[in-house]
Amino acid sequence: MATLEDELLDLVAEEALIDRAKLVREATLEDVGLDSVDVVSIVFAIEEKYGAEIAEDAFKNTLNLGEFVDTLKGLIEAKQA
Amino acid sequence: MTHRIVVTGLGAVSALGLSVEETWTAARDGQGGIAPMLFDPGPNGPEGHTTPVAMVKGDALAATEAALGRRVGASLDAFGLYAVKASHEALAQAGLLGTLGARTAAVYGHGFAGLHTLEEGFERFYGRKAARLHPLTVPKVMVSAPVSAIAMEFGIKGPVFGVTSACSSSGHAIIQGAALLNSGMADVAVVGGSEAINTPGCLRAWEGLQAMSPTTCRPFSEGRDGMAIGEGAASMVIETLEHAQARGATILAELAGSGMSSDAFHWTQPSLDGALAAMRPAMEQAGVLNADQLLISAHGTGTPLNDKNESLAIQTLFGERAKQHPVIATKSLHGHLIGATLALQGVIGLEALRHRLAPAIQNYLGPDPDCDLNLVLGEARPIETDHLVLNAFAFGGLNTTLVFRRWS
Repeated sequence: MATLEDELLDLVAEEALIDRAKLVREATLEDVGLDSVDVVSIVFAIEEKYGAEIAEDAFKNTLNLGEFVDTLKGLIEAKQA
Repeated sequence: MTHRIVVTGLGAVSALGLSVEETWTAARDGQGGIAPMLFDPGPNGPEGHTTPVAMVKGDALAATEAALGRRVGASLDAFGLYAVKASHEALAQAGLLGTLGARTAAVYGHGFAGLHTLEEGFERFYGRKAARLHPLTVPKVMVSAPVSAIAMEFGIKGPVFGVTSACSSSGHAIIQGAALLNSGMADVAVVGGSEAINTPGCLRAWEGLQAMSPTTCRPFSEGRDGMAIGEGAASMVIETLEHAQARGATILAELAGSGMSSDAFHWTQPSLDGALAAMRPAMEQAGVLNADQLLISAHGTGTPLNDKNESLAIQTLFGERAKQHPVIATKSLHGHLIGATLALQGVIGLEALRHRLAPAIQNYLGPDPDCDLNLVLGEARPIETDHLVLNAFAFGGLNTTLVFRRWS
């Protein structure tokens, strides 16, 4: 069964039209070509799928994809708890 | 006209299929796409209801991504996706993919906008009280989104814009594209229209207008009771004859005449004078007012008023010759595509000229004395003519008529 992290990376690939293989934790958002509209699109899809609420500024200190996914996981798990 | 304008590519997406070939085969064989469908507005709306519509047949997203060789995902509303798919097919047939630039125009017509995206966004906003809408809502909804997508996808850098006139939109788009070629502002134009408005809210709006059939679309038939809404897109590649010949293109047809008029009269009632004011100049320009035979692809919506008025217009314009012209009404197959309808009927009509076969009107119950025309009924019928007449008469009184001549 896919982990939540795998599910989230699949969703990032789907929403931002990025090759899934490029999505590794160490890559920066810029490295993989995620712009601000992509980030909001991903957030939107996650809100729809998981019912989580994600603040506009949740990612302002995010440096790489690992931190991005960890933040999302935290918000989803908080919602589901 | 200062230039002769010719057609070198066609593309179509509709309830009849995802290509011109599929569309023509279904039309020829009478395999219509109108069927009852349940529209459920979800927990925040009223109860769902079932109504006859003509939805695009097949997986348009997968077909578009396969054609383009890349993913387009959720960046386009359905009315943009269909436009890109139909334009890809038309440009591929014209042999122009990868060659376009500042001397190419794109003019595309739509009666509405990206209603799937808009309704889903507003359901989230009003229904679920979510403050944030999808970040691509505006670029997906705007009425120029499909033509911008076509320009970006195929590298079209000349005059590019959308036009709107309800059910005549793609007629106006084709005429405006031809005008750009005639003016010397471009050598090639991608023209057509797209529409995707079969959403729970929009269909209720149409029902409010009392224009929707509870059964199916029966043009020119006794007992006809309204239209069925379809969805999809159709594109044509048009270019100046000089440009087409210089590059050795295969020419399919010539745009021989066009007419535009406004009734300045009523939101939903048609006008005989308005219809004639579009049809007559198109026939005169093409020199076919007294032709022995024309293939008339009627607006033929299946509403009591349109079909009666259009019959009278054809009888008035052609007089004794009216009964010589076979009349087809393909909305009985693919539904009413609103802003895309004239372009789709153009694609089917040009295929009909090429195959010398007129597809039959579907769902016909029997003659109506108000619609005494040479209707093509039963099975597809052999035709002799080289000329196709296309009518579109829009709510709000905006009319277009085009005449195409088969190239030989």
